[in-house]
Amino acid sequence: MRKRTVRSRLTVALVAGVVSCVVVVGAVAQSKNAYIGKLEGPEVVTDPAKFPKTFKEAPQLAALVKAGKLPPVAERIGQDPLVLKPLKEIGKYGGTWRAGFTGPADFWNGFRCCSGPDHLMFWDYTGDKVVPNLAKGLEMQDGGKTWLLHLRRGMKWSDGKPFTADDFVFWYEDIYKNKDLVPTPSSAMAINGKQGSIEKVDTHTVRYRFPEPYFMFPDVLAGSTELAGQMWGYRALGGFAPAHYMKQFLPKYAGQAELDKKAKDAKFDSWVRLFVAQNDWARNPDLPVLSPWKTATPINTPTWTLERNPYSVFVDTAGNQLPYIDKVVLTLAENLEVLNLRAIAGEYDYASRHVDLGKLPVFIENQQKGNYKVHLDPGDYCDLIIKFNLNYDADPEIGKWFNTADFRRALSLGIDRAQINETFWLGTGTPGSVVPADHNKYNPGPQYRKLWSTLDVKKANEMLDKIGLSKKDAEGYRMRADGKGRLRIEIMTLGGQFVQYTQISEMIREQWKKIGIDLRVQEVERSLALKRTAANEQQLGAWNNDGSEHLFTFPLHVFPFEVDAVASSGPLYARWFQSGGTQGKEPEPRMKELMDKWRKAFGVPEKERIQLGKEVWKIAAEEVYIIGVVGQAPAAMGVRVVKNSMGNIPARMYNSPDGKTPGISRPATFFWKN
Amino acid sequence: MLAYVGRRALLAVFTVWAISVLSFAIIQLPPGDYVTSYIAQMASTGSVVSEEEAQQLRIQYGLGQPYYVQYLKWMNLVVRGEFGMSMEWRRPVTEVIGDRLWLTMVVSLAALVLTWVLALPIGIYSAVRQYSPGDYAATFVGFIGLAVPNFLLALVLLYFGFVFLNAHVGGLFSPEMQDAEWSGARVWDLMKHLPMPALILGLAGTAQQIRIMRANLLDELRKPYVVTARSKGLTELRLILKYPVRVALNPFASTIGYTLPYIVSGSIIVSLVLGLPTVGPLLLKALIAQDMFLAGTIVLLLGLMTVIGTLISDILLVWIDPRIRLEET
Repeated sequence: MRKRTVRSRLTVALVAGVVSCVVVVGAVAQSKNAYIGKLEGPEVVTDPAKFPKTFKEAPQLAALVKAGKLPPVAERIGQDPLVLKPLKEIGKYGGTWRAGFTGPADFWNGFRCCSGPDHLMFWDYTGDKVVPNLAKGLEMQDGGKTWLLHLRRGMKWSDGKPFTADDFVFWYEDIYKNKDLVPTPSSAMAINGKQGSIEKVDTHTVRYRFPEPYFMFPDVLAGSTELAGQMWGYRALGGFAPAHYMKQFLPKYAGQAELDKKAKDAKFDSWVRLFVAQNDWARNPDLPVLSPWKTATPINTPTWTLERNPYSVFVDTAGNQLPYIDKVVLTLAENLEVLNLRAIAGEYDYASRHVDLGKLPVFIENQQKGNYKVHLDPGDYCDLIIKFNLNYDADPEIGKWFNTADFRRALSLGIDRAQINETFWLGTGTPGSVVPADHNKYNPGPQYRKLWSTLDVKKANEMLDKIGLSKKDAEGYRMRADGKGRLRIEIMTLGGQFVQYTQISEMIREQWKKIGIDLRVQEVERSLALKRTAANEQQLGAWNNDGSEHLFTFPLHVFPFEVDAVASSGPLYARWFQSGGTQGKEPEPRMKELMDKWRKAFGVPEKERIQLGKEVWKIAAEEVYIIGVVGQAPAAMGVRVVKNSMGNIPARMYNSPDGKTPGISRPATFFWKN
Repeated sequence: MLAYVGRRALLAVFTVWAISVLSFAIIQLPPGDYVTSYIAQMASTGSVVSEEEAQQLRIQYGLGQPYYVQYLKWMNLVVRGEFGMSMEWRRPVTEVIGDRLWLTMVVSLAALVLTWVLALPIGIYSAVRQYSPGDYAATFVGFIGLAVPNFLLALVLLYFGFVFLNAHVGGLFSPEMQDAEWSGARVWDLMKHLPMPALILGLAGTAQQIRIMRANLLDELRKPYVVTARSKGLTELRLILKYPVRVALNPFASTIGYTLPYIVSGSIIVSLVLGLPTVGPLLLKALIAQDMFLAGTIVLLLGLMTVIGTLISDILLVWIDPRIRLEET
């Protein structure tokens, strides 16, 4: 509660300072295309014939080699480098990249910029195609039930120890299967709810076995899933771990008594807390890693510093070991306003996370002074969605309406998306339903963008009249069918997020007056939100559906998928889905059809999967379980402020949590031109 | 006197214990616990924490136990001079606070010194030269200082500092000095960053103290002992400083009780706005994340400081004001 007051006061005050730039706002809307460039990015070279034959390294590493403290660069990289073709040019070594972060909870920040990303497979710059990354390749066998992962020969951890199949088996046998460390098996390791296994074929080959065909597997390794590298190390997940280092923190190898003492000395409550703290890429500078930069001063100090990994397997087409930039320094910003003002003042070299779309005019105005350029990277998803809690039962009448398709559709038709887009997105967004951008492979067709999502007050009123809500009170609000007064519904919002959910909901409240719906907006603190959704007390919830552009690896905002959600579209349905039908509540036929199609897609070849994906979105758009408001806009990390002298910066990049943007543009290839 | 101090000290210990119980209870009041806020945070970044995992976490952090057990566990740590592990920072609480405590004290002391250096002479001047142009000017500035919320002033100064002076935005160090070892250059860098927060933090206090000093002194100046002293031929300056000012200082001494906790926490809102790495924002974040041990320790520390401050001001009052007698009843 306290935070809210502080923040809203701050916002009010800053808005006052920004009044002078109001004129610029109009200009932004008109020239939004000037800031949205062409989608481009570096490419992974997979043809060994095009690999560089010799390697070069940063001067300070060369000095260490000369002093005999490091092996020669070719030895450190190994026989199968991960070759990146930089976007524009071969860069040069040196310099520091300055940015901000907001504290230990902001770990995504460093993973997005500096982890490489260290996924085994990854996306090309379009976010569409899976390409080899840390692994050299992935081979399907046995009709999708077995997958062979080929590792790079001679590849090493940041401490110089070899990265081999043993690190996968160690993770699977000693970490993943340890119930203390991983109480719930990961859905990423399962197909149709049945767990797979990992085994070693030889030093450089890993075999994954699944009981049923798992055609989605390459996408799962590429996306930000729980098999996607050391990001999830702090939850003992990630798909692999440095066996030679982490063994000392396991009872099996270190001995229980010994380890308990170690945990106690380090002031941890249990060995499990110690283990996950030591296995944390962001927290433990000693942890061997595979990323181009590695943590030097950890995330729980005022400055999170990352330095080059001397054993980085990433190289450019000329054979220069990446990254080009020596050091990344993220300084702690006590609040987002200071962070934004620092970015405006040009004190950050590259910033997009936490950059506030509402301040876009000020950013543009100060481009010259701050010596930076503003780019917009709209996402392929909705920046604002409204979820109906289909399981709401505290008030049966309201629950009934939420489960009436025409009620949901009418509410969607009652929203003036153009007004919201102009006011909160400065006209940079696209109004429409929940479906992802037109070029997304799962998009069911352009007609679904507008389905039930244009402003049509007349039709909305007719629909509401027809379903039995025709009686109105003196103020023009619709009355409940059970005669207990006015029909009041409530939306729950969170403050301090990338999107101003509360303020936008207030505007929707005004708009819904025209269709006789009385909406109450309630902003709550995060934990309370969670508690209320878990207790099934939420009616409507506002959120964004970022990630849903990768429908199968990030389905949280497409249908009731997670039980503990800050905005839920049905906790009982989610439980039913997660438990395979043994708990929770069985969904209505259309929802069940949607869930079935989604689940089925994991076990079928890509072409069929795309078809299933389209059908999932079709049902979602037709049934309006979730109202889409404004999307394909840059509100979530899509306003990018980059110094003019930084090289290899794409005009536009794919903005997605699955692509760890800007990770998808390979920041290891960014460099300082002077 | 000694018995008096002893009795007060004993009461203080009891008060601190009561504060520890209260602070622990307050932290338990909001819905959920650290694991709930952790799950919420995970959920907002798109990852799912299962119920089994949440349960496991609660066991590991000892959150499932009854409150009194948790309290006793914490107290057990506190009496040994440890304060537990911060759940969010995953570092011992002492380290997390220690990082910031010194800087907080530097900033707060600077603000305090500024307040007193400005407020005392101006207050005295205002009283002695009542209704003079100087008094009006001081009153005007004083009321403005009282009326302007200091976080707003902070924002305005921050913005103008950036627009007109090209000043570094927020914080206490330049980026290049952030992590440097302590050296002459770093101290100088800190000195350069200090005036703005000190001024903003000190302004409201200054205004208030000017008014208090002026009002108290005006009361005293009309009393017969002043006239007597004057008639005995004391110089005006000596007269005023020696008698009425000493009496008028009472409120300053009695506010020390609130001053000490302020020195260790700094102002939460202003520190947030200015991005100062002080204890205040840390407390705010700890409360939001329900980081029990960290929040509890800070609240306890603040309580302890209030108690010590009150004790000091009681003793000071006895010393400054001879009219206060210790009566054994």
